[in-house]
Amino acid sequence: MTLLTYREAAIEIEPGEDVLSALLRAEIDAPHSCRSGVCQSCLHRAVEGNPPAAAQQGLSNAQKALGYFLACVCVPDTPLTIVPAQEAGTRSEAVVHSIDRLSGDVVRLRLEHDPVFAYRPGQFLELIADDGLGRHYSLASLPEEDPFVELHIRLHPGGRMSRFIAEELAPGRRLHIAGPLGTCIYEGVDPDQPMALIGSGTGLAPLIGVLRDALRRGHRGPIRLYHGARERDGLYLHDHLWALTKRHTNLHYVPRVLSDSGPHGGDVAAAALEHENALPHTAFFLCGGEKLVGRLKRDLFLKGASLKQMRTDTFLPAGSGR
Amino acid sequence: MASLYERLGGEKAVDAAVELFYRTVLADGRIARFFEGVNMEDQLAKQKSFLTMAFGGPNKYTGKDMRKAHERLVAKGLNDSHVDAVIEDLSRTLRQLGVGEKEVQEVAALANSVRGDVLNH
Ligand code: FES
Repeated sequence: MTLLTYREAAIEIEPGEDVLSALLRAEIDAPHSCRSGVCQSCLHRAVEGNPPAAAQQGLSNAQKALGYFLACVCVPDTPLTIVPAQEAGTRSEAVVHSIDRLSGDVVRLRLEHDPVFAYRPGQFLELIADDGLGRHYSLASLPEEDPFVELHIRLHPGGRMSRFIAEELAPGRRLHIAGPLGTCIYEGVDPDQPMALIGSGTGLAPLIGVLRDALRRGHRGPIRLYHGARERDGLYLHDHLWALTKRHTNLHYVPRVLSDSGPHGGDVAAAALEHENALPHTAFFLCGGEKLVGRLKRDLFLKGASLKQMRTDTFLPAGSGR
Repeated sequence: MASLYERLGGEKAVDAAVELFYRTVLADGRIARFFEGVNMEDQLAKQKSFLTMAFGGPNKYTGKDMRKAHERLVAKGLNDSHVDAVIEDLSRTLRQLGVGEKEVQEVAALANSVRGDVLNH
């Protein structure tokens, strides 16, 4: 019986041996440092099988639920198929269900996938164009309710992937996806915990996924959703979100438009930092560009929020992944 | 006698200390610049390794790792005064958590023992 499969290659693991040692012995350049389950630099993810609990100590609940583990302290007794923490895993085929404009430069892409693509709302997937070009996009749909997977994509003028999406995708078109990836999910949140969801641009996609998941599971604590955009048009789910606050009294929606001087004008990060008193038990979800996420993470942490209670999804510039 | 790590409360003590310690360090104007632009999760994991080491707990960090981890910072001007500041922040964190003075001194001494490796002396 092969205990360890790494990126689809079988690797011999000796009795009592840890996964990191086996990878290194097989001449795989796996990152590591402390080799004692402390530094987390050897993080991997099991795409099949369950890592032993000892290999998940110190990880967040979301990471545990998604199969992440520390290779240096992982001595498996059942078979595991693993990939490096940042890797999306195997590709599969999806079919375009629909593609619509949500605002000037944001499109909503819905894909059908058979068999069902297993994910949690707030995770992201890799969308792969014909020539192998890949970009990461967050999942805004809810697997329990939506028969499709939904992505919100900002089209960049001149972007290769943007061009592919705008020009070639139409209902019925087949393409490849891989994943899911990411730990920006509702898992591990207590139903009475206050939640703050903060994002800009299409950072709203994962937040919508998480919000729908929380509401569906009967979250009772207050939920504050901050969405920032450059122009008014960028608040692409404004009406929908307002309507939602009417149905759920624990939901508060705070839109911010950078170019506006009206009541909703201003910077979303500043608004969130002003309103949130960052109690250690608030669950934060931060999604958007590197600068926004980095600033929020640091300032909220210095104000008293716990890093363990922060889930983030950072959009990197095209070329580096998304 | 139980090890310092055990006396302090083992992994639980490290967990309680790590965020508080990191917050203190980040807010310390003398050393904050060394943390600019770092990935906070990675950094927190490193703080955890450091504390485990400083508490005398199970950690296979070697002098070589210490050197490698701080190379970039030494190039940016890391010196004795910054190590002093870190040890001071660590002691303050432990006192805030109600750790006894004797243990605080022991932890400070352990942290001080890697000074040469950190500064590449
Ligand atoms: S190498 Fe440090 S946790 Fe595995």
